[in-house]
Amino acid sequence: MRAVRHAVIVATAVFAGWLVVADGGHGAPRAEAENAVPAGTPATVLTKDKAQAILGKPVTSTKGEAMGRIVDVIVDKAGTTRAAIIDFGGFLGVGSRQIAVDWAALHFSPAGQPERITLDLTRDQLKSAPQYEKGKPVVVLGASGNTQPLAEGEYPLDH
Amino acid sequence: MHVYENLGSDVRHPPVPAPVSASVHAPSRRSLRGLDGFNFFIANIQTGFGPFIAVYLTAQAWTQVDIGFVLTLSGIVALAAQVPAGILVDTAKHKRTLAAISAAAIALSALMLAAWPILPFVLGAEILHGLASCLMGPAIAAISLGLVASHEIGERLGRNARYASAGNGIAAILMGACGRLFSNRAVFVLTALLAIPALIALFRIRSQEIDPVRARGGQPGGSERHSPLHGIADNRPLLVFGAGLILFSLANTPMLPLVGGIMTMRSSHWATVLIAACIVVPQIFVAILSPWVGRRSETWGRRPLLILGFAVLPIRGVLFALFASPYLLVVVQILDGISAAVLGVMLPLVVADVTRGTGRYNAALGTVGTAAAVGASVSTTLAGYVNDRLGSTVAFLSLAGVALLGVGLLLLFMPETRPAER
Repeated sequence: MRAVRHAVIVATAVFAGWLVVADGGHGAPRAEAENAVPAGTPATVLTKDKAQAILGKPVTSTKGEAMGRIVDVIVDKAGTTRAAIIDFGGFLGVGSRQIAVDWAALHFSPAGQPERITLDLTRDQLKSAPQYEKGKPVVVLGASGNTQPLAEGEYPLDH
Repeated sequence: MHVYENLGSDVRHPPVPAPVSASVHAPSRRSLRGLDGFNFFIANIQTGFGPFIAVYLTAQAWTQVDIGFVLTLSGIVALAAQVPAGILVDTAKHKRTLAAISAAAIALSALMLAAWPILPFVLGAEILHGLASCLMGPAIAAISLGLVASHEIGERLGRNARYASAGNGIAAILMGACGRLFSNRAVFVLTALLAIPALIALFRIRSQEIDPVRARGGQPGGSERHSPLHGIADNRPLLVFGAGLILFSLANTPMLPLVGGIMTMRSSHWATVLIAACIVVPQIFVAILSPWVGRRSETWGRRPLLILGFAVLPIRGVLFALFASPYLLVVVQILDGISAAVLGVMLPLVVADVTRGTGRYNAALGTVGTAAAVGASVSTTLAGYVNDRLGSTVAFLSLAGVALLGVGLLLLFMPETRPAER
């Protein structure tokens, strides 16, 4: 029993020491400094209140109707985001359709509502839009009618 | 319920020298109720899987490519495992234990999905679920076959189908509400919790009332030393039935997703409710009709009912192509209920008929199930392609055409499989 007690004390001491030495995960730049990043690589830290990931996030209309979730982003050859693909409609996964909407029609974190994504379109406008299909020309639904077509012969970047 | 009418004094079915393990010929009410409850809760559990997983993973920021990969891979595994699972159920001595292990595995996979939706975990959970489901169907069929006398099996399977569809319908509404009110993750936790009443119901079935020889379609005292697939490859009615099932499944499986997409297109505010109705209405009709189908299969025979169930499908395809109103489409889903009720009872019943005496019931069930699953997986992609290129009318009419081929095949080649000693 004494041997067991010694072992437990040693293990606890090692564990506590590890906790003190190891970083809890905060401060990525500090960890990067320890990992020998080549000197001179610029990096920026974006905190949660300044930026968010958008894949899978729900989208609502300005009236509050549920519009679906963002599943993909369409970017043109110049690197400008042109459209977001939204998985729209359905019940328990049956009957949902993927529809491309103009990036300009999306508003991220509108005033006073962080983490919310709104779309300047209604469900009625979205419901009969042609489905998005990879490899085919993307039909982008625009809110204001000001969507800019790509130059002749250009297509959005394919996967 | 009329199921208890024929127990006891039964002159048409002379008592067979029973093996030592089956001490009673008539199952107790407790066991039968337990089987009802097990069917109900397992159907509840299985509703949480299926297309809903894609919704859940999308909300977890999975890419569509990854979602497709996981679902396809697990589909292939589930397909390949059906026949071995059937053989396993045939050879296993304790059918209840097998069913319990399957239920626990499915609950575990639901918990895995809820807890940590990263790729390897989800892949593992999906494969586990696929394997467990392959065991579950034959295990329930084997328990049913082993519990009741052979001339009551039609009615028993009808009752199984009734409780399963009630479970499906209620769970669809419950889980839809759960997903709205709480979160998608909560749906999987609920799914896992439903395993508890399932297991309680399962263990109310008295294991000594399950005749293990009858449970795999063997004859007591018959020799069953052939290879595991002996009674299958040379079994012509089984092959015809399997081919018909492929055609049925090819035509039937894409219809609901196509209709769902049309609902979303044609009706924005009520689309969700209408799709829910499209799922629940057939289940209601399956719950109502299944025991009737089971009883009629004993009096009318199997063939008329099979033809009925198959013939309803091309009609449904044509009606879907004709009607534009989403509300009418929900009404047409009643036909889905009719064919689902017939198939749900007839599938295990016909397989039981054609494998009687071979002891290969569950292996045959696995084979036929694989056939149906192959049809299902091929057709959804094909139908989606046709729908996009040529429009929904052409898609539905071609599905109706395939269904008609199935009817023709059955009419020409399918024999009556009801046992002749009646």
